[in-house]
Amino acid sequence: MAKRPGGELATRPLHFIWIADCSGSMGVDGKIQALNNAIREALPHMCTVANENRNAEVLVRVLAFSNGAQWHVSQPTAVANFKWQDLTADGVTDMGRALLMVAEQLRMPPMSDRALPPVLVLISDGCPTDDFSQGLQTLMQEPWGRKAVRIAIAIGEDADTEVLQKFIGHPELKPLHANNPEALVRYIKWVSTAVLKSVSSPASQAGVISSGLNIPVPAPPLMQTDVHTSADDVW
Amino acid sequence: MHQLLSLGLRVSTSSGHIGTVQQFIGGGGQGEVYQMQMDQQSVALKWYFPEQATGAQRQSLELLCRKGPPSDCFLWPLELVTAPQVPGFGYIMPLRDAKFKGIVDLMKRRIEPSFRSLATAGLKLAQAFLALHAQGLCYRDISFGNVFFDPASGAIQICDNDNVAVDDQTLADDQRVLGTPRFIAPEVVRGEAAPSTQTDLFSLSVLLFYLLHIHHPLEGQREAVIKCFDLPAMNRLYGSEPLFIFDPNDASNRPVVGIHDNALAYWALYPRFLRERFIQAFTLGLHDPLARVRESEWRATLAQLQDAIFYCGHCGAENFYESTLPRAAPCWSCRAALQIPFQLQVGRDLVMLNHNTQLFAHHLDPQRRYEFSTPWARVQQHPQQPTRWGLTNRSSSKWVMTNPQGTVRDVEPGRSVALAAGVKIQFGLVDGEILAS
Repeated sequence: MAKRPGGELATRPLHFIWIADCSGSMGVDGKIQALNNAIREALPHMCTVANENRNAEVLVRVLAFSNGAQWHVSQPTAVANFKWQDLTADGVTDMGRALLMVAEQLRMPPMSDRALPPVLVLISDGCPTDDFSQGLQTLMQEPWGRKAVRIAIAIGEDADTEVLQKFIGHPELKPLHANNPEALVRYIKWVSTAVLKSVSSPASQAGVISSGLNIPVPAPPLMQTDVHTSADDVW
Repeated sequence: MHQLLSLGLRVSTSSGHIGTVQQFIGGGGQGEVYQMQMDQQSVALKWYFPEQATGAQRQSLELLCRKGPPSDCFLWPLELVTAPQVPGFGYIMPLRDAKFKGIVDLMKRRIEPSFRSLATAGLKLAQAFLALHAQGLCYRDISFGNVFFDPASGAIQICDNDNVAVDDQTLADDQRVLGTPRFIAPEVVRGEAAPSTQTDLFSLSVLLFYLLHIHHPLEGQREAVIKCFDLPAMNRLYGSEPLFIFDPNDASNRPVVGIHDNALAYWALYPRFLRERFIQAFTLGLHDPLARVRESEWRATLAQLQDAIFYCGHCGAENFYESTLPRAAPCWSCRAALQIPFQLQVGRDLVMLNHNTQLFAHHLDPQRRYEFSTPWARVQQHPQQPTRWGLTNRSSSKWVMTNPQGTVRDVEPGRSVALAAGVKIQFGLVDGEILAS
């Protein structure tokens, strides 16, 4: 017999989508392995944050792009049930196609009309080889695309940060530069914990709210390599 | 994945004690918490991120350490801690006992406490913040994350006390902690006021509503129509256009069936005196900080709520008594007709006499209200005749009872008064009478 009536606290879905560059260059110097490792490393922490969160039902998907794009994990999956399957690198950088496919998923339906802002994390080490602008435009035509918290992580020195900045769409948020595997681990962890938390139930801090953003994105972790390019960079 | 301190690091407290960092416990917005061994004891050590380890924070901690905890419910800063080679500082505090669970566990129904435990937890919260405010301090961040409770007993622990400050003190970084969204008072959300004792009272009312309804008091129709629940939407809902979901004068923000079912299910169960307190907290108290429900009022209401609990004879579910309850009203759980037990009118209190009811100094000594440590009386079965129930004197002084026929008898400690309507009991400092509905 239930001691008290009712159910869990009402939640809203929070869609979290990894958009990962799997082009051939990601196969060089162990970048794709580092990405696989960083996300796997961050998952338990993401799970803890989701678990402690009473306002959101966190649902994760993964889209990989190289020659075209395809859903690596197509179904919105509760983070507790989410297993990271390794991505592999091969082909070109069809980032525009990837954004088109994300836009399709953010349309209503399949998106519900009540949700928390989705989180889109774009990770890339190169320049788009297809029509990026059209992909971005399509994404931004969707209300959920515009409302999404868009984060970009540039891997290595060759990433097109201008394109990533356009994807973010807010001058006060910059692409994060991961110039070594350690930095990548930090940033992936930050986005899958601190950002996730802010979207659903922001921490008790003021001063992080930027005027142009519709959610208070916390400051990313400070990396030594943000200031000095380390000599022992592996990439 | 901790970043600030390495395990095994030796640190020293301001009084010169040496401790060893043993284990990472968790990270937050301001720093990281570790378990630390010191003088054969385990304590918690919070270490600040460099940008948070400000002079103002240090001064504020020194003040808190000097003042000491307002009550034993607070996991209060004990001493400042520094470490050689590591910039910044931290502080030690008692470790949280594992039996205390987070409010998130309650919201996700991973724990299923009784109504009595929840009423007790609410009462103890009100009492703890009363003690804190009485010292001229304000908490500034009352929310889910900072309060833990024992689902079995309702005992509470309050952590993250390092943001506690003297009310209205203007520290250099005083504006940094505004509180947790959904708990912040509307005037703070709108940027018109800084956190204070008055805004703590709002946050406390929100927390109590969450505890008792598994729902937020302002999330009704206005929340249901929001598509993207982002910061502008939250600022509107909790700041510029807040409206209580059960506002008696404005029904435009009622809970929506299918979305806000908890609010509807619980609100109907509770007695009028509790609903009226929430109405006060979230109508007048929503807009006028001086009209908020005080901790002492919450304490009185939640003690009254404990006394109003009785059990369904059919399924055992806890129900709440009030004088307007219709005869044979149905149990919320099994829908069987409820049978109302005897009640004891003692002083101002009306206490349901259940199989497990206990009376405390709170009930029997007007000078010792809200003291619930040792039972002074309890309902018990007759040792030879299990169908007979009585109220046993567990105090150290005799009572005097008068039965409906007018016969007067002493009730020595250890003896019991048979439960019957019309029996009057002089408990020494207060008089009581057993009533039947």
